Amino acid sequence: MGLPVTRPAADPPPGGRARVSSPWAVACAALASPFTRREGRELLFCLAGLPFAVINPVALFVLTVDLTWLVAGSGRGNPSPAAIAFAAVGVGLLLVLLVSTGAARRLGSMQRVLATRLLGMRVAPPLSRRGLGGRAWPGPGPRDGAGWRVMAYLLAKLPVGLIELYAVFFWIGGLVNLSYPLWWGAFRNPPPGVRLSPVPVFTPFGWFGEGTFRVATLPGTFAAAAAGAAMLLAAPWVTRAVTSADAWLIRGLLGPGRLAQRVHDLELSRALAVDDSAALLRRLERDLHDGAQIRLATLAMNLGMAREKLGDDGAVPVPDAAAVRELVDDALRSAKDALGELRSLARGIHPPVLDNGLADALASLAADSAIPVDLEVSIPVRPTPAIETIAYFCAAELLANAAKHSFANRIAIRAAGQRDVLEFSVTDDGTGGADPARGTGLSGLAQRIAVVDGRLTIASPPGGPTKITAELPLRA
Amino acid sequence: MSARVVIAEDAVLFRAGLTRLIEDHGHQVCAAVGDGGALLAAVAEHQPDVVVADIRMPPTHTDEGLRAALEIRRQHPRTGVLVLSQYIETKYTAKLLEGNAAGAGYLLKERVADVADFADALERVAAGGTALDPEVVGQLLRASRHADGLAALTARERHVLTLMAEGRSNAGIADALVVTGGTVEKHVASIFDKLGLPPDEADNRRVLAVLRYLGS
Repeated sequence: MGLPVTRPAADPPPGGRARVSSPWAVACAALASPFTRREGRELLFCLAGLPFAVINPVALFVLTVDLTWLVAGSGRGNPSPAAIAFAAVGVGLLLVLLVSTGAARRLGSMQRVLATRLLGMRVAPPLSRRGLGGRAWPGPGPRDGAGWRVMAYLLAKLPVGLIELYAVFFWIGGLVNLSYPLWWGAFRNPPPGVRLSPVPVFTPFGWFGEGTFRVATLPGTFAAAAAGAAMLLAAPWVTRAVTSADAWLIRGLLGPGRLAQRVHDLELSRALAVDDSAALLRRLERDLHDGAQIRLATLAMNLGMAREKLGDDGAVPVPDAAAVRELVDDALRSAKDALGELRSLARGIHPPVLDNGLADALASLAADSAIPVDLEVSIPVRPTPAIETIAYFCAAELLANAAKHSFANRIAIRAAGQRDVLEFSVTDDGTGGADPARGTGLSGLAQRIAVVDGRLTIASPPGGPTKITAELPLRA
Repeated sequence: MSARVVIAEDAVLFRAGLTRLIEDHGHQVCAAVGDGGALLAAVAEHQPDVVVADIRMPPTHTDEGLRAALEIRRQHPRTGVLVLSQYIETKYTAKLLEGNAAGAGYLLKERVADVADFADALERVAAGGTALDPEVVGQLLRASRHADGLAALTARERHVLTLMAEGRSNAGIADALVVTGGTVEKHVASIFDKLGLPPDEADNRRVLAVLRYLGS
């Protein structure tokens, strides 16, 4: 699981990154589409997936039946039921073997690598079969769910792979058709009186014969070229559609299973929670050590020195009254400093205003902010205390971030409770460019939110504005 | 006796107070610095009689004071080292003394409030003696596996043992308990007898013997 920081982004249509809106722009994108790198990679993916359609339970079964039939029945008549049963058992055993030895997982990982390289999608590998505490299992074994899911993928890959081949045909057929006018003049110059047979033109509906048409003259080749151009224009969309379907299968069957992924996510967020609380305690200790504790030690030292100057016998007047007064003043200052630090520390642990609800707490935050804050809170159902605390500290940190980095003139905080979700956002009109990869602030927030299955969305283009949205469940 | 002192402490106010306290007691503060590196440099420059160092200082805020102290003990054996800390770690005690309790001290920071006691400890360490925090000795006593041997001591003898482990001389113990030197000597002899330790005249070797007994 990566940190649940999401950035709003649209999947670009084939051919272009920009969102197209006008019909003219659509037309431009459609024309340019066959020539982008992404289309090339998708085409390559369609071709590269072919061997996987062959290493396929169905294909293997048919092959085995045919072989048995050839060997046992010399290819005469129909395959006997015995041959079919033999093939079924054989293929079944082979599959168990593939899964048990981990070969299935390796096939899956090859397919994942292809998908990563060519489709740019990231699929986490299925979790290795390790028990808690690193207790290793003896190999994948025949009950390896991930291996069987690879088999399921290969089964589904057969029809998908055939459609991918069909997409490849769109490209090749289109190119061939388009080239007809070019070579027609060179090869089609029969002496007068000789008639050459017309050449077939590919269409999406067939290779030869049915569904195709033929051309016999140079003007006719322009019809072929037009058909080719149409196929080439359609090719990226067909390719995109079928690779998207394949990507969906890969994500569903070659990644970690949904339950395993959930367990994995929970383990991760638990680790984050533990780390977070350990870090919190460490910070508390540090703050106490460098703050209140040293102030109190200084205070005690000053009082000790003052007492020494006062002498044991209670002599009046005190011999060095000015020095004593100075020491007592120092002690008083240390005491006040220590009190101030303890107060801010206590407030940092749990702000008392939070007891009155998030609305009051956010209002008090907004009032303390150096940059003017518009506050809009509507939370009909009160979240659990843990959620309120997380929301409060997130808002506090986001406000502090905005004050430190954004150069904003106004900040808006919105918090709304809807059904089971508390959504709050902090928007500023500053310079933007907030990046969770730089500095630990935002990724730390994302971690804290992830612990309760929440999500942090950051929209901060360079130049601003910055809008950071957190979604939290109402109960944790 | 007037000692030449170098102070290392990162909290500015505490450092200033400490400087004043030490100067008030007639010693000379050659340098007051804020981290381990500066401490080593200052010691090399001034060759002081004693160093007062906070254990936790920048940059790592872990134990650079202690590491600097060990370095000083290795390079400048004639400079006494008194480390201060807000916690007592028995492990740090062992590291600091490591076979030689002469000119070494380890006190809780808050002990500076008992100004006279602190000045006494500082002077002891400057003169090659030992000053261990009562808390160090208390922890060792509580954790000691020699409960039987310790149980044989009277309450007074236990008290004397604690003061002895802190590094006080017989005269110092006599002052603290408001008894005569002869009485202390009798207590000490009785303690060594009951615990089966060889009697030793030198104060800092006596500390080691007691600590070793408690820690073994």
